[in-house]
Amino acid sequence: VRQLVVLAALAFAAAAGAAELKAWTGGATPPLVLQDLNGRTHRLADYRGKVVLVNFWATWCEPCRDEMPSIERLRQSLAGKPFEVLAVNIGEPLGRIERFLEKMPLGFPVLLDRDSGAAKAWKARVVPATFLVGPDSRIRYVHYGELDWSSEPVRKRVAELLE
Amino acid sequence: MDRRAFLQTSAAAAAASALPWRDALASTEWRTFETITRVEVLKPRGVSRAWVPLPMTDDTDWQKTVGSTWTGNAARAQVASDGKYGATMVFAEWRDGEAAPVIEVTSRFMTRDRAVDLGKPVPNAERLAGADRAFYLAPTELIPTDGIVRKTALEVTKGAKTDVEKARAIYEWVVDNTFRDPKTRGCGWGDIKSMLESGNLGGKCGDLNAMFVGLARSVGVPARDVYGVRVARSEHGYASLGVGSPNVTRAQHCRAEFFAAGYGWVPVDPADVRKVVLEEPPGKLAVNDPKVEAARKRLFGSWEMNWLAYNMGHDVKLPGASGPKLPYLMYINAETAGEMRDQLDPDSLKYTITSREVKA
Repeated sequence: VRQLVVLAALAFAAAAGAAELKAWTGGATPPLVLQDLNGRTHRLADYRGKVVLVNFWATWCEPCRDEMPSIERLRQSLAGKPFEVLAVNIGEPLGRIERFLEKMPLGFPVLLDRDSGAAKAWKARVVPATFLVGPDSRIRYVHYGELDWSSEPVRKRVAELLE
Repeated sequence: MDRRAFLQTSAAAAAASALPWRDALASTEWRTFETITRVEVLKPRGVSRAWVPLPMTDDTDWQKTVGSTWTGNAARAQVASDGKYGATMVFAEWRDGEAAPVIEVTSRFMTRDRAVDLGKPVPNAERLAGADRAFYLAPTELIPTDGIVRKTALEVTKGAKTDVEKARAIYEWVVDNTFRDPKTRGCGWGDIKSMLESGNLGGKCGDLNAMFVGLARSVGVPARDVYGVRVARSEHGYASLGVGSPNVTRAQHCRAEFFAAGYGWVPVDPADVRKVVLEEPPGKLAVNDPKVEAARKRLFGSWEMNWLAYNMGHDVKLPGASGPKLPYLMYINAETAGEMRDQLDPDSLKYTITSREVKA
């Protein structure tokens, strides 16, 4: 069956100054129900009332690795606010993820998308693909490619969602 | 290992290697591969652009996309589609003044070997009806389905009743009447009308498998070319049907499928039979060589998935490009100052594709 692929505008880190979050026009927010490394199930619906940054990533993705620290900085700067990060790893073995986290400890849950089903539902065929979900559990913004998530323009967007 | 066991093992290995088509172990297992495509636009003038094909978007029971990512210095990049066939690509653009435009696209995907048993119809096989059926029967700019194409196909399929019988007759005709021409640039553009009119039936996969597709479509059998690149050696003992190194820059290869009720899409590759004839060591094999006969039997109904499928597109209009439509999208394309670079010359355009299998 032919399927047309929706054009997804992407911005490079090299153009970080101009990089902006794109307003989401992709329709309804797909469900997200995945286990973390400890076997705990996370449901996006359970985070209703909070702003959630959903980041699809993989250890083999260099831009994903490069932007991770900025996501952590953003999270730390919003400590105490209703803000959460869910990092969804696409289809990699547990051991490889754990080895990565030994080198780069993260303060947010890493969820396992073992069959890439969530990535496909979220149209995250290219990584990193990052979605900002509003307190109403609807995707508000999307960004494909590397971004400095601790930059001022991004913080401003998140702050607006938190208001 | 003692000497006796060693001799037995060696004898078994020698016997296996002598078999025309060696059955690979665990061929139904999924394998994960990674390709890295690096593109540099040399001597840029003005705005530069590049288009890099991505793995096929739709998952199948023989290929699944894990994901893609990229790095580089483009001012902007986007995942784009041709809009008709769903052929996806990374489209990158560099501003005037960028001295060394570069983009590196990494893709991960899974494959497993594919075979259709044409003696056993499947009750819940995929169906093809209405617009989709018409889509895969339609002519393209280089693959007309009337005139000499249809006339040839009617002669070739005389007496054949079912779609499988027609496809089989066309497959055998392509194998018997065409040849792989090593002088063809790239994989050939698939101008099958000119081939038939001139009587020169030489070419490569882009020509020979397009011939299969055009002849099939012209007699009502849905068919399509599938464009991609070889990513690993053949596990079946054919040096000509795989790649021998991680550098797969020049390993582009297209295949074909036809649709048959009760079976769904059926993989074929008559062009690879002709490749075995020409290239399988020691080279220039006879058509009745056991290795050719074994490949001929297998390549009607099966594909070894040491190959990555990009897309099934024809007459591809590259988004944002100033040039004309492409017959297909299998190579890296780039332009600078509105002038397309030669996609068949990876040194002129400077691109490399490397591949490796990813073990857990």
